[in-house]
Amino acid sequence: MIPLDTPLRELREQCREAGAELRAHALAVDADPAGTAHLDLPILALVRSASTPKDFRTDSAVDDGGYSDSCLSRVVAGVELARGDAGVLCANTGPSLAGVAVDTLGSPEQRELFYETIADGRAWTFFGMTEPAHGSDATAMESRLDAAGDPADGYLLSGTKRYVGNASRGAIGVVFARTGRTPLSIRGALIRQPAPGFHGEPLDMIGLRGARICRLAMDEVPVPREMLLGAHLPASRRGLWGISRTFNAMRLQIAALALGTALGTRDYVVEQRPNWSGHEVMSARLDAATALLYESAAAVDLQPDAVRPPSTAKLHITDLAVRTSRWAARALGPGALLEHPLLEKWSRDVLAFEFMDGTSNIQRLHITHDLSSRKVRT
Amino acid sequence: MRDTLMACEAAAHDGGFTPGLELALRTVDTAVPPGRVTALPADRVPAGAVVVPHRLAALEGVAFVTSAPAGPEPAHAQGDHRTVFAALLGAVRVGVSRRLLDDAVAHLSGRAAGGEPLIRKQLVLGTVADVITALDAVRQLLCVAHRVPRAVTDAHDRITALDWDTAKLFGASGFLADGPVRGAYVGRLAADCWTDREDVQP
Repeated sequence: MIPLDTPLRELREQCREAGAELRAHALAVDADPAGTAHLDLPILALVRSASTPKDFRTDSAVDDGGYSDSCLSRVVAGVELARGDAGVLCANTGPSLAGVAVDTLGSPEQRELFYETIADGRAWTFFGMTEPAHGSDATAMESRLDAAGDPADGYLLSGTKRYVGNASRGAIGVVFARTGRTPLSIRGALIRQPAPGFHGEPLDMIGLRGARICRLAMDEVPVPREMLLGAHLPASRRGLWGISRTFNAMRLQIAALALGTALGTRDYVVEQRPNWSGHEVMSARLDAATALLYESAAAVDLQPDAVRPPSTAKLHITDLAVRTSRWAARALGPGALLEHPLLEKWSRDVLAFEFMDGTSNIQRLHITHDLSSRKVRT
Repeated sequence: MRDTLMACEAAAHDGGFTPGLELALRTVDTAVPPGRVTALPADRVPAGAVVVPHRLAALEGVAFVTSAPAGPEPAHAQGDHRTVFAALLGAVRVGVSRRLLDDAVAHLSGRAAGGEPLIRKQLVLGTVADVITALDAVRQLLCVAHRVPRAVTDAHDRITALDWDTAKLFGASGFLADGPVRGAYVGRLAADCWTDREDVQP
């Protein structure tokens, strides 16, 4: 495992301790994802602040323990917080996936608008990408940004999206759509709620219900020209590139959530069966997965567009998390999932990570993409 | 026994987990689970029974109840009943798994990537072929070893894994609480009530 320096080790310990605060709210958020009591948790306030770029924090004196310094530090923290409960973490307000997109594609003015809108700490954000007919295949995207009657009025956004976290309650977010037919015409638009023609509705999901996953319907939503992301960037970097880079960073975070949930599950079994050595192989696998995730994050810190390390980490760890939940049920005996509600909740939550930021088959394609384009050896 | 197993599988394939469970309970209604909880169709819950609340089970028409203590039968007879019932539950789950796979194939046939239906993609076809094959093998296992506790437990573990392989084919729509994966998940919870093991492998 790559060695963590002293500040990172301290960050890990602080987040591990804070995870217990999250766990206390886990079942309540699962039962009522619309609740807001968890937002007052000090650790969630700290996560909101730490995931906001330093220039836009309301309290610049906040010590985030190095959380925002690197992809590795965010992963180290993410694992430990999710070890408390990933569902509560996903129910937090803050910049989230939309923040990564705005930081990647937004102008200084757009970033300022985005972070000002969520500065009170009570605002969720959303990231609209996946569509009902095409999943996350951006090249097949159907949502449109049509020029308004008067070009000075910008665009009208129309289409439907699925599986968009917090779309029903987000104050601001990013929605991707196309201004034309070419791949370069895919652009992100900043949308503030409420907006005419924009409607998000929660979907009833099996698990990770704190993420408040929604369907999104958009009918000629006005998008002023200055709300289109990436105008200050070269044409090749205004749309798909930003999506790819956003997903690259978030893929590691999803893997961190999955690993944290698996570690929390293992911890729970060990608590229930003290002095039982039957967890040793699973524990070793989880330690190895932690090493894999840390190395993948360090690789992305060196090369932000590296696709294989995040995909490898996500593919392996989401699978391991599902296997860990099954193992835990076996380890605690007949009916364990019904006698241990947290364990049952986590066994549903881990299924969600498969579908976030690309399924396993999509990760397999990422991992082998450069192999399939190699020339045949003669 | 083969005919009974096939009937349970058919009931679940045609109508979902709950009709399959109902038929299994009608066939072997004296078995007592190894743990404290068991699954019943919601309309079979006796008055005064303690129900473990579960949102997805309720949507599926299933209730998990704290089970009655074992009856006066000798322990070995109870164990045999228990294993046979767990095998019937396995057959029910095979029916649910086939139903889930049917839905997955229909879903994949209606979606395309790169201009090609997803059902024609090699990665997808490989999974579908593996699940079809493994379900056939599990069905045979239940037929030949329905009185062998470890074999029946193994069948349930394999069904759980196969259902997950199938659920992944739906993408995020497989994670909807009102979708076809719910029945498979509730079936897994029910199976966990009826399977016990001394050796817990990772």
